[in-house]
Amino acid sequence: MEAIASIAPEVIETTPSVSHTVPKLISGSEALMMGLVAEGVDTIFGYPGGAIMPVYDALYDYQDRINHILVRHEQGAGHAAQGYARMQSRAGVCLVTSGPGATNLVTAIADALIDSTPMVCIVGQVAKRLLGTDAFQEADVMGVTMPITKWNYQITNADEVPEILSKAFYIAQSGRPGPVLIDMTKSAQLELMTKPFVYERCQSIISYRPRRIPKQEQVEAAARLINNAKRPYVLVGHGVQIAKAEDELRLFVEKTGIPVATTLLGQSTISTDHPLYVGWLGMHGNYGPNVMTDQADVIIAIGMRFDDRVTGDASKYIKQAKVVHIEIDPSEIDKIIRADAPVVGDAKEALKALTALVQPNDHTIWRNEFRKYDTIEYEQITLPELTSTEGKIRMAEVIDMLSKKTNGEAVLVTDVGQHQMMASRYYQFRRPNSLVTSGGMGTMGFALPAAFGAQVGAPDRQIVAIIGDGCFQMTLQELGTIVQNKQPVKAIILNNNFLGMVRQWQQLFHERRYSFVELQNPDFITIARGFGMDGQTCEKRESLSDALDTMLNHDGPFLLEVIVEKEENVFPMVPAGASVAQIRLK
Amino acid sequence: MTTYTICIFTENTIGLLNRITIIFTRRRINIESLTVSETERKGVSRFTIVIKHESREEVEKLVRQIRKIVEVMAVFGYLNEEIVYNEIALFKVSTPLGSKPLDVETINQQYKAWVVYWGLDYVVIEKTGNDTEIFEFFGYIKQYDILEFVRSGRVAVGKTEKGLVEYLPESEWAYYL
Repeated sequence: MEAIASIAPEVIETTPSVSHTVPKLISGSEALMMGLVAEGVDTIFGYPGGAIMPVYDALYDYQDRINHILVRHEQGAGHAAQGYARMQSRAGVCLVTSGPGATNLVTAIADALIDSTPMVCIVGQVAKRLLGTDAFQEADVMGVTMPITKWNYQITNADEVPEILSKAFYIAQSGRPGPVLIDMTKSAQLELMTKPFVYERCQSIISYRPRRIPKQEQVEAAARLINNAKRPYVLVGHGVQIAKAEDELRLFVEKTGIPVATTLLGQSTISTDHPLYVGWLGMHGNYGPNVMTDQADVIIAIGMRFDDRVTGDASKYIKQAKVVHIEIDPSEIDKIIRADAPVVGDAKEALKALTALVQPNDHTIWRNEFRKYDTIEYEQITLPELTSTEGKIRMAEVIDMLSKKTNGEAVLVTDVGQHQMMASRYYQFRRPNSLVTSGGMGTMGFALPAAFGAQVGAPDRQIVAIIGDGCFQMTLQELGTIVQNKQPVKAIILNNNFLGMVRQWQQLFHERRYSFVELQNPDFITIARGFGMDGQTCEKRESLSDALDTMLNHDGPFLLEVIVEKEENVFPMVPAGASVAQIRLK
Repeated sequence: MTTYTICIFTENTIGLLNRITIIFTRRRINIESLTVSETERKGVSRFTIVIKHESREEVEKLVRQIRKIVEVMAVFGYLNEEIVYNEIALFKVSTPLGSKPLDVETINQQYKAWVVYWGLDYVVIEKTGNDTEIFEFFGYIKQYDILEFVRSGRVAVGKTEKGLVEYLPESEWAYYL
């Protein structure tokens, strides 16, 4: 039997080296600042505290080059950095103190890892001589974050700063992006370097060699499968947008005529009105894309990882199909679904190579099979949700109207729950990189700070946060950050006074035993005004259009609370543990 | 259950042991033995980890997850027949005055074990071999009073010609020498 081997592929250099040399000896904190400048960092989301004060002191002299944004809670710093990173396609940077500062950041780090968001977190730590003594505000942040970072490192002397910082950015931003944490002792922040500061951007690490260019034989094997397919089907994940391969994807599907579905995070990779786009996959995805998965003969999965929210019961998933899996992270190949033709590499490079080898094909009949399911979904779910005249406003109406008023060009930043699924169902995305949501971790409280970070990262785009009343109360203090920084974030709370998704599950699977899901909510608009943000509440269907106009036309941030139907359910739905073919319409 | 030996070549950095073992813990895979030492290349450590598992597929996934760690250079999963492997065991055996004398010839000739230390009223015997051989010797020597017994983790080399150097570009060897 052949030995199981996983070895490093060859190194691929892409970025030029930048070198900065300074003759005088400087402190670790100043070295950190200079390193950040050399990396091109223009924004830091952070919160000061005892064990990071030397760094904050150094930052005081760098305010003209680095914009520091004071958040209200370290979790907010993490999510804001995620939003920023998603818009900028480079690492978001967080700066927090030791102990509670670092542990407050943990949720955002875990969120960034599972959604492959590049982030560099710089965390203060107690002085080296106090390490391991249960000193004030000491927490084993290295141990805590080891399983949820792509890489972490504890700096205990100032000389390490340039090399470690450059490694951190390289690791966070290359290959499959992810969060990196640097734990820096206070002594390393204070002490002087013993050698001149030299900063060289890291370009390769001996033990870490992400493969960007796929092997030609893998591409050829994939092309053979695709060219012989009768019912091929492309499933697009977040990896395509990370690789900025939207154009390559479009060219590939337009040449081959293959229908495309996306995962939750893959949405907006291809315009919703593209004739080959059939909808999105997953537990609350569209009817056709889920059902048809079981009828394809070749599945081409690109930059996606077959999450259980996509596959349902994985043991019953695509048993009939051959699988082409294009993925930069080789550990995702065969992890959930066995690949017949794995292609390890960057989605952009892989799609370019593949498009050259595939033949044009007529898949019209196969593509049209999706449409009958679209009609069923439209008649049974979409139409009733969009045209209801009785009861309170429905979430679908809000998103549909927002979509029309913004021409599908806004960036939606959604929280987690029913409103997230409704936003995904009803917003007609026209531009790439237009949905920022917490997918893998499902972090409530994500949207408000992430929307703020996204607005900082993309000042020219209209950012609209879609938030549930439960989610909003997890990070609402970041209203203060938004106001202080004068960012024109628009936030819509879809308020049903419930933890809506949990209530839906309790209704469907726990005999309506509504266990602790009803919320007594505060007056959100008064709270917003307390922070200095304008807002209004909309309760009546006939005033929804005006309320949305008021929000979108408002100069500056705005909070719109929409009182929605209390017990509304999100359908279609693949019940947990069921196969995708068992998707329910009611 | 099949025994697998996982060999991991890594950079020698603090905390890496944790990062590697977390992957086993998350997947609820018990580590039977673990040995770490520096290799012939400076700064490169070799982990030898023995596990038992029912599914080769799961072990392959484990290998890929370990490879994801930034400081890991290469990972190999082996079946027993693919490697040459050994453990070392030390037996501290009581030999007070007037007790039954040790049959050193049998220990040496039959069990290929060696007395490596003579104390006043005890000896320490070293036995290398695979776990079966070590426990065969245990069965023999237990007629004497065993005061202490300790076994190391497994060390192993693959039977194929491929060594670590195959997987480091030649131009970068100097980095480790």
